Amino acid sequence: MIFSYNYLQSFFKEKLPTPTKIAEILTMHAFENEYVEKKGSDYILSIDVLPDRAGDCLSHIGLARELSVLLGIKVIYPKAKIKETLKEKLPIIIENNDDCLRYTASIIKDIKIKDSPKWIKDKLEVCGINSINNIVDITNYVMLETGQPMHAFDYDKIVGGITVRKAKKGEKISLLGEKEYALDENILVIADDEAPLAIAGIKGGKKAEITKETKNIVLESANFNPKLISQTARRLNIRTDASIRFEQNIDPNLTANAIERAVDLIGLPSSKKIDIYEKKLKPWSIKISIDEINNTLGINIPQKEIIKILTKLGFRVREDLTVEVPTYRQDITIPENITEEVGRIYGYDKIPLTLPAFSNPAQINYDIFWQNRAKDIMKELGYSEVFGYSFIGDQEKDDFNLTVREIINPASSYYKYLRPVIFPQLINFTKENLKYFDKVKIFELGKVFGKEERIVLSGAISNNDYLRVKSDIIALLNNLGINNVSFAKEEIKIGKDVIGIMGIKSGITFFEFEFDKIQKNAIDNREYKHVSYHPIATRDISGLVDEKIDVEEIVSKIEKIDLVKSAEVFDVYKGKNVPSGKKSISLRIDLQSEERTLDGQTIDKIIIKIKETINWEERK
Amino acid sequence: MDIENIKKEALDKLENIKDRVGLESFKRDYLSKKGKIRDLFSLVKDLPIEEKKTLGQKINQLAQEIEEVFLLKEKEFSKEKKEEIDLTLPVKPTDLGSLHPITQIRREMERIFQLMGFSVVEGPEIEDEWHNFDALNIPEGHPARDALSLGKTFYLKGGNVLRTQTSSAQVRYMKKMKPPIRIIVPGKVYRYETTDASHETNFFQLEGLLIDENVSVANLKAVLKKFLEEFFKREVEIRLRPSYFPFTEPSFEVDMLCTVCDGKGCAACKRTGWVEILGAGMVHPNVIKNGGLDPKKYKGFAFGLSIDRPTMMKYKINDIRLFHSGNLNFLKQF
Repeated sequence: MIFSYNYLQSFFKEKLPTPTKIAEILTMHAFENEYVEKKGSDYILSIDVLPDRAGDCLSHIGLARELSVLLGIKVIYPKAKIKETLKEKLPIIIENNDDCLRYTASIIKDIKIKDSPKWIKDKLEVCGINSINNIVDITNYVMLETGQPMHAFDYDKIVGGITVRKAKKGEKISLLGEKEYALDENILVIADDEAPLAIAGIKGGKKAEITKETKNIVLESANFNPKLISQTARRLNIRTDASIRFEQNIDPNLTANAIERAVDLIGLPSSKKIDIYEKKLKPWSIKISIDEINNTLGINIPQKEIIKILTKLGFRVREDLTVEVPTYRQDITIPENITEEVGRIYGYDKIPLTLPAFSNPAQINYDIFWQNRAKDIMKELGYSEVFGYSFIGDQEKDDFNLTVREIINPASSYYKYLRPVIFPQLINFTKENLKYFDKVKIFELGKVFGKEERIVLSGAISNNDYLRVKSDIIALLNNLGINNVSFAKEEIKIGKDVIGIMGIKSGITFFEFEFDKIQKNAIDNREYKHVSYHPIATRDISGLVDEKIDVEEIVSKIEKIDLVKSAEVFDVYKGKNVPSGKKSISLRIDLQSEERTLDGQTIDKIIIKIKETINWEERK
Repeated sequence: MDIENIKKEALDKLENIKDRVGLESFKRDYLSKKGKIRDLFSLVKDLPIEEKKTLGQKINQLAQEIEEVFLLKEKEFSKEKKEEIDLTLPVKPTDLGSLHPITQIRREMERIFQLMGFSVVEGPEIEDEWHNFDALNIPEGHPARDALSLGKTFYLKGGNVLRTQTSSAQVRYMKKMKPPIRIIVPGKVYRYETTDASHETNFFQLEGLLIDENVSVANLKAVLKKFLEEFFKREVEIRLRPSYFPFTEPSFEVDMLCTVCDGKGCAACKRTGWVEILGAGMVHPNVIKNGGLDPKKYKGFAFGLSIDRPTMMKYKINDIRLFHSGNLNFLKQF
């Protein structure tokens, strides 16, 4: 809220510190100051009143009360002098006390609608409120002063009396300076015997609007159910100075003071106040403990000091340490609220720094351990980590035929689904980066959202080279202690379990793993394998095998044979010159012994054994 | 052919040999079993004994001489040639992989908190409304729920929301663990927001929670200061300002003395000398109750730290949107 420095000053006899100094004190003990700005002979103080304090501090008196505590000076509250001599009466009914806690009204006659005096105009202007006419300006002025929103109706336009009631379905209202709104039974209205005059707590209507011709007025100063006002303001999407205040808990005991202040400022005799207030809000008590306050803050403030702070704040502290809370502080309901009051006024900067006693060492989180390990290996393999949004749009969804969860209120139509996979985004990132780089290798380890929330590891490289990616994947998994990886045509498996997929799209090779499946198989402890210094004998063999046998299976069978160090398929061929039901494969086999150099005879024997093992057939 | 001729011819040839191949063929032509020098012995065998002896000696001498020169030559070739290099020639640096700056900063934060005994845990990104709001003392219709939900929450079809803060994990772990609880919860959070250089819809937070029988604001101040000093690797001054969060009471905004100007006031701290770094507070008794613990016995502090913002401060990054851009020109700098 915007505060006027001069307005605040008017509540004190003593000279206030400079606006900047005030802003600083408030920032450290109450509310953050956004900026201070000179305006004519006054200063604007933009203060972010905290939401729980909106009930009492969206007003100059409220803030003055804070300042009086912090500066140790006294607030002089304006006193209203009024003459309630008019005989006029207006029937007022509140249908439900839960919706409207209190309704106070005064009638004033023979008014002249004109411009406001300069001093009122100036204060309104500093606070960012447009001057309308003397009556409307006074209601706004009183709101800025007390925090109590008010409204003025043209008395002569009211038919019968006033009822505070829920609107009826089908009722309509034309609001001041706005369009017509359709009402329903969830909206609280102020109505006369004919129709709604105002949406309660939000805005007045045109029916009983104050115009240049207005002679007689009714002033309204009421207290409405904050939840109801908040819901209505949200639904109709209207935020006014009144609704912002009514959405918080304003003190219902404030309405009479505010209306008297307004009547006084108008300076004419008024009717007797009409005041409907069934359930009067009385101060409530909270039992506090000095030890509790000090233990929570971690400091030792003497009891005397605590009582002094609370008393200055307007609380009444009894001898048994029950604290009576004034009705303008509806934010104070539990002892912890009192602790906060004491702490902030005393000064958080006075609280020492005490490290908590050592309890237990932190536990290792193995999910994060393996994620970090995998990320590091991907980096070693030359991949750069990227983060994509958790959102995708129709392009990704349609390109890959994805089943997705939809966001009700997406940030944009490009981001209306939760991603069920990551690779489509990596493909897009790769394409984008190819504008600046010859080669792109990227990965992301992140959440995807199917029926369940899962973590996947996805990668992409800018060339059509799936064998290169296969090499990377083997290196990654081996490094994670997984050695029993196998490959189907487009799938990556551990045993029979499919742990990931690979594919090529627009010349970009991509893969994606279910990370929990990797993690489940990952092993941290390694065991040293004997290092042989004897030479490796390499043999290439080519021939025919059964078409149905998996290449992976052949390799794994061969690698189990004694003295075989590794076997690698470097060519697979089907078609011309290969009999049906067969495929031609070429293998490179490395043989090595840990004890000796292998001689020709031994090598030949192993090769024969390999050929037998995989039902080898010579090519004709 | 006489010995002198062969000698001259052989030495000439040796002299002119340029490579190993030449050396090999010389060896074959002259020094092998069927080479020219061996051949000379065929002349010897028909000569009388005395001459046989003299000539034989001469041939042996010749063989020896040639071999010596040959070996020298061979030695010369077996010496590795010095490679010429020129470091003024242009190259591109080797292409390395890289880790996202957020990953690196997150690890650093986790490391520091782990040293202080905080275990790292994670929570779900899709949350039910109870954990995201109600459990945190934000009931339906609460002004804070209004600010958080109306403007900032992504709602999913079929129910649930994307968590708006990592605090939603608080109650989950209070229920799961026994005090003393010391955890941090790093992770992605979501806000329904118009993006600009300092606002994102997807970003990262780190929630801290300490629950024990005796916990105070003094503990909170000490832990946060220690963390910030470790993180920024320098002395740090902090201050607590009053704030409001439904799930903490008292609540604070924590500022750090600007590291750019040391509090003198500069563009980085908007001339205030202080930089807002995180929100914190003492856990609200309702939240402790929602976590299944007795608020009379247990107290705690909680704090919520942005991961993006300190990352931006550390590397002087001026646009938060770069983090999710996938742009390697940006990402490869870290």
